[in-house]
Amino acid sequence: MESLEEFRARARSWLAEVEPPEVPLDLDERFAVLRRWQRTLFDAGWLGLAWSREAGGGGLTHAHQLVFVEELVRARAPQPIGLIGLEVVGPSIDRYGTDRQRRELLPRLLSGEDIWCQGFSEPDAGSDLASLRTRAVADGGSYVVTGQKIWTSWAHEARWCALLVRTDPAMRKQAGISYLLVDMSSPGITARPIRQMTGDREFCEVFLDEVRVPRSNLLGAENEGWAIATHTLGSERGAATLRRRVELEVALDDAVDELRGHGDLGERARAAVGRAHVAMRVLDAQTRQTTARLLADTGPTPLDSVDKLVLNDVEQTVLAEIAGLLGPLRALPGSRPAGLHSERWAHDHLYSRAASIYGGSAQVQRTIVAERLLGLPRG
Amino acid sequence: MAEHEFASAVDDYLTRAYDGDRRRKVLDAEGWDAGLAAELAELGWYSLATAEDRGGIGVPLPDLGPVFTEYGRHLVVGPLLEYSLLPVLVEGLEPDAAGRPPALVDPGVTDDWAADLGSVSLTGRELTGAVGAVRFAAQAGELVVVAGETVCLVDAAAPGVRTEPVDSADPGVAFARVSFESVSAHTVLSDRDLAARIRAWARLLLACELSGLAQGAFERTVTYIGQREQFGRPIGGFQAVKHLAADMSARVAGLRNLCAAALDDAGEASGADLELVSSTAKAHAAEAAVRVCEDAIQLHGGMGFTTEADVSWYYRRALALRGWYGDETELRRRIGATILTHERQP
Ligand SMILES: Cc1cc2nc3c(=O)[nH]c(=O)nc-3n(C[C@H](O)[C@H](O)[C@H](O)COP(=O)(O)OP(=O)(O)OC[C@H]3O[C@@H](n4cnc5c(N)ncnc54)[C@H](O)[C@@H]3O)c2cc1C
Repeated sequence: MESLEEFRARARSWLAEVEPPEVPLDLDERFAVLRRWQRTLFDAGWLGLAWSREAGGGGLTHAHQLVFVEELVRARAPQPIGLIGLEVVGPSIDRYGTDRQRRELLPRLLSGEDIWCQGFSEPDAGSDLASLRTRAVADGGSYVVTGQKIWTSWAHEARWCALLVRTDPAMRKQAGISYLLVDMSSPGITARPIRQMTGDREFCEVFLDEVRVPRSNLLGAENEGWAIATHTLGSERGAATLRRRVELEVALDDAVDELRGHGDLGERARAAVGRAHVAMRVLDAQTRQTTARLLADTGPTPLDSVDKLVLNDVEQTVLAEIAGLLGPLRALPGSRPAGLHSERWAHDHLYSRAASIYGGSAQVQRTIVAERLLGLPRG
Repeated sequence: MAEHEFASAVDDYLTRAYDGDRRRKVLDAEGWDAGLAAELAELGWYSLATAEDRGGIGVPLPDLGPVFTEYGRHLVVGPLLEYSLLPVLVEGLEPDAAGRPPALVDPGVTDDWAADLGSVSLTGRELTGAVGAVRFAAQAGELVVVAGETVCLVDAAAPGVRTEPVDSADPGVAFARVSFESVSAHTVLSDRDLAARIRAWARLLLACELSGLAQGAFERTVTYIGQREQFGRPIGGFQAVKHLAADMSARVAGLRNLCAAALDDAGEASGADLELVSSTAKAHAAEAAVRVCEDAIQLHGGMGFTTEADVSWYYRRALALRGWYGDETELRRRIGATILTHERQP
């Protein structure tokens, strides 16, 4: 297997030669540009590095994956668009899928030809995900699925959805849940985009009305989807924490570059950058532990919740400090107060408020820490 | 909620005529809705503090505070400050026959970003310069311009005045850039303290509006966590949620009390005292309102992150008002400097 040093050198020289695209702020343009970029990365063999070869992956390790993310961010190159597929859903399909599912679905997921979404949350099942009610009833060679999902990121662009459904209403909450791979072009599916406070329409309400899903699209065994969902959420947290750390680091560097040469804010800019810098170092120290656990493949632990809390906090602190330097000019997207791009930083700051909500809210993480790490009584 | 006579009338009216779809439409249009402006003028809200002999009701300025709190609480947007405050303080600024608002062209809305905002200078009666962010300048009939510490009046259509609308991220305000090329002011006011008085009252009323924004976001949240169920019971029953809600409640009450006290003191205060009182209220409002809105979003979960939830509008509004006439950092520094350099009162 290629050593990490060789691999890093190869990634660095490839990234130096290819011209990474500029990322537009407009959501539709951004989507198109990043989808082409995903294809470029895929063709050059940089995606799914730790996945099996039959899935179209690189057959390398998590360490290689991590090195590539670092190099990508270091080169100021954007992430590919299909992150839900690449980081969230894909690893679970690779791990729990049949040979046929892996062969048919994963190469197209990696190349960006198929965009994936994650249909977990429902209007009445958010933090209490296991109370989900979308029903799947077996009928001949298919399941017939009826119900509603919400906050499904990119559902309106997605070709496939990893859908959690209830296949046995008689069993206890977590039991009786199955994990289906659903073709979003099936009759009976409607995705309605919802406008976020950033102005973007990135997530959707998804209505499922007697949608027929072939039984061969069941991932894992019937009624045993909860364990896979836990794996999916674990991949999401692990991969996202590491990626966000590098992204935030670069964001802060960008902000510092923009501020340099604008002496006007003086003391104030120094205080803000100082506080953001300290927060970043806290996150960096924290994620070293995460990396070690990821490489050792320890599986989910309550320490992931500690990571998530630290990440939330740092992300919100760093972006609030930078956006705080926009002052009253944050209300003018076209302005460049103290050299800072008002629109970008106001947008990123608003987005940081979601960090403590998605992927298990900050309160839910605190409960996990209290009960599972500190051993406090449940309930 | 509103204990004040005018404020409760405002509250009643807005509850009936504004809350709901209409508010959403106004918010989506960056705060300018000529129909709403005409309606509030008709109701007499803009002229509450205007002297009786000028067609107003003549209530003392501090009584506008509770009204602005209701504006915030109901997410009323538009040139409220411009319509209600400027004619009271600025002599010679007459109500516009066509109902257009006045605009305040003031490079002094901030200390720290002054260089980004621009400047205006006055030579004789002639104005030159530019200000990059002026609320509702494109809608205005008359411009109240602060040049240095001098206030003067300019017809928005006077030769040499250029007004270019710019994009706005404040759901309550339409912005424009205003520039003057050798523009002749039709009135130059001799009152040397006027600019400071306008800014201090703007600060105070914005603090009250922020207090209403915090109050509104908090009320929405209490309702929501009482209804929203997860794990088979209302999320308001979980200790983690209760604690956050209790913190919010304390912040909202503290801010409301501070605003009330500041309004009490402001009626009598002049000069440096008014400056200190208004800066203190605004510094606290800037920080507390933003914080309350953040917790409100958090307790709404995914719903809070959408434009369908009111709390996301409260938040963006609070973020926009936070820096207008000083955010907490800038004002704390001013307050500190004032306290360190001024003589102590016995
Ligand atoms: C930007 C964004 C993208 C998203 N993308 C996706 C996606 O692609 N796919 C998907 O399936 N989901 C997605 N989500 C949904 C996300 O996972 C949920 O929002 C999250 O699980 C919270 O659920 P909820 O919104 O129903 O909030 P609720 O569960 O109603 O929570 C509301 C508040 O109550 C608190 N609370 C709830 N229960 C407890 C408790 N027991 N103790 C203490 N406090 C509690 C929460 O912490 C929160 O503050 C996304 C969300 C966001 C914001």
